[in-house]
Amino acid sequence: MPAWCSTYVRIIEAINYRVGRFAMYLLFAMMAVLLWSSITKIIQLPAIWTLEMAQFILVAYYLLGAPYTFQLDTNVRMDLLYARQSPRRKAIWDAVTVFVLIFYLGVMLYGAMGSTIYSFETSERAPTAWRPYLWPIKVIICISFVLMILQAAAHLIRDVAVWRGKEI
Amino acid sequence: MPYEWIAILMFSTMLLMMITGQRVFGAIGFVAVIAAIALWGPGGSDMGFSSIMKLMKWNALLTLPMFVFMGYVMSESRLAEDMYKMFHVWFGPLPGGLAVGTILLMVMISAMNGLSVAGMAIGATIALPELLKRNYDKLMISGVIQGGSSLGILIPPSVVLVLFAQIARQPVSQLWLAGVFPGLLMAVLFILYIVIRCWWNPSLAPAMSAEERAAITWAERFRLLQAALLPIIIFAAMMIPFVKGWTSLTEASVIGALTSVLAAVLKRRFTREVFETATRNTLAITVMFMLIIMAALSFGAVFDGLGAGRAIENFFVSDLGLSAWEVLILMQLSFLIMGMFLDDTAMLVIVAPIYVGLAKAFGFDLIWYGVLYTITCQIAYLTPPFGYNLFLMRAMAPPDFTLPMIYRSVFPFVLVMLLTLVLVMIFPQIALWLPEKLL
Repeated sequence: MPAWCSTYVRIIEAINYRVGRFAMYLLFAMMAVLLWSSITKIIQLPAIWTLEMAQFILVAYYLLGAPYTFQLDTNVRMDLLYARQSPRRKAIWDAVTVFVLIFYLGVMLYGAMGSTIYSFETSERAPTAWRPYLWPIKVIICISFVLMILQAAAHLIRDVAVWRGKEI
Repeated sequence: MPYEWIAILMFSTMLLMMITGQRVFGAIGFVAVIAAIALWGPGGSDMGFSSIMKLMKWNALLTLPMFVFMGYVMSESRLAEDMYKMFHVWFGPLPGGLAVGTILLMVMISAMNGLSVAGMAIGATIALPELLKRNYDKLMISGVIQGGSSLGILIPPSVVLVLFAQIARQPVSQLWLAGVFPGLLMAVLFILYIVIRCWWNPSLAPAMSAEERAAITWAERFRLLQAALLPIIIFAAMMIPFVKGWTSLTEASVIGALTSVLAAVLKRRFTREVFETATRNTLAITVMFMLIIMAALSFGAVFDGLGAGRAIENFFVSDLGLSAWEVLILMQLSFLIMGMFLDDTAMLVIVAPIYVGLAKAFGFDLIWYGVLYTITCQIAYLTPPFGYNLFLMRAMAPPDFTLPMIYRSVFPFVLVMLLTLVLVMIFPQIALWLPEKLL
């Protein structure tokens, strides 16, 4: 494999690792927001922003965290046949089928970008009491899909390397 | 091409894609976006994205990471160890007693958790080594842990019922209460099966020896009963504010998660390692579920656009001329068969909206239907080739638990679940009595 391939894999995986580790701790931000929400209910001054904020954090949590879970390989596979293959055969399978994943992620990114541009152009706000702007979360969604595609490409390079007998 | 054929093509393509071993969400999402673009042109490409925005408004999903985190805190900090010891000294003298104790432990875990993952983890780390040491039959061990942990989605709190509530637009609190007695009934039937089986063939589950029994003092036995306090406290801290209406469901789940952390801290078992493993695994499990739900929502939206719901309804009612009960039985059977091959969460998101519509059209109580649905999901978790508990068991158990053995071990427990399903179908009051009484 050319040197830039392993450089690419190293850089992308380092970025996604850090982003994923950051996203992992958003769990506690979610807890804090919801806990604050129950406190405000008890003192009879319910906050109007907490539920939507928690929703936004959940989206950021699972989408920004997703590339890191690709690295951990924790997304369930139907591995009836797959699990019985040798590591090399698995790599070859994956190198082909990863395009399915990349295509899906690409369409998601395309849709997300269209929606983000719309949000910017119309200063779109959520139709609720708090009326938050929607573009920040949509930008995060776009970034997440870019990172997922980059991570999937890194897996592709790794699999091709295994295929050719030289692991990265 | 007629729409029915497109729907069938989509389903079969999805199954084919899944066999390749690519991530399940990728396979489902791919078929969904391809179909959307083929049917509706470039405009169809927004369908994938809109499922994220739709998912965002499903507030109840905020409970998912909380329950997963809670389960991992409990299994990683070995909070369940004392509970297991309690069951051990109290039930150990019976043949099969420790297996019975494992089922009871799973009932307690289920009352603190919404998925079967925590039960599996606790079963594999705490119950399995002890059962092996006592020379229990391996098929029995594997079956007890998998069957018992599946109670997690029926006994409240339950994430599956939360998802069902969202899809069927029914109150979560009623669904949860409706799951209580069917869950306990199933646990009792599991125990009956174990006791009868071990009475018949005591070599499957050797009882505790007399000298070992004598070594445990009564003071020790009563001291161990304290272990039962923990699940009661956690269950109460979570359920009372929610059922009383002081907090929302999501807030209650946060309180539950924090209570379990507090318990682990007080027991001095909340180490850095526990924190790291619990937080990381929570992300992994949450992402796995959310991405599958996200992809399945797009798939379901295309299906809906094709009018698949109406087509199935017409097929059942006009073409086959079935009565309400025949349709209900047919729905359950098709669920069971699909549950063997499809991802169970995806099945919930894609198929449930169609079936809920049908059940409603026939005038069935949707709370009751939700319980039937959840029992079917439990069976789907256990039926090969595709079941979460089977995967988890293979990943968590020692290597001498082979895959064919794991597959075989669940068979009697699946039969018991089917029996429960039939009982709840015939006697809806098993599910509906408690919510009617309390709400």
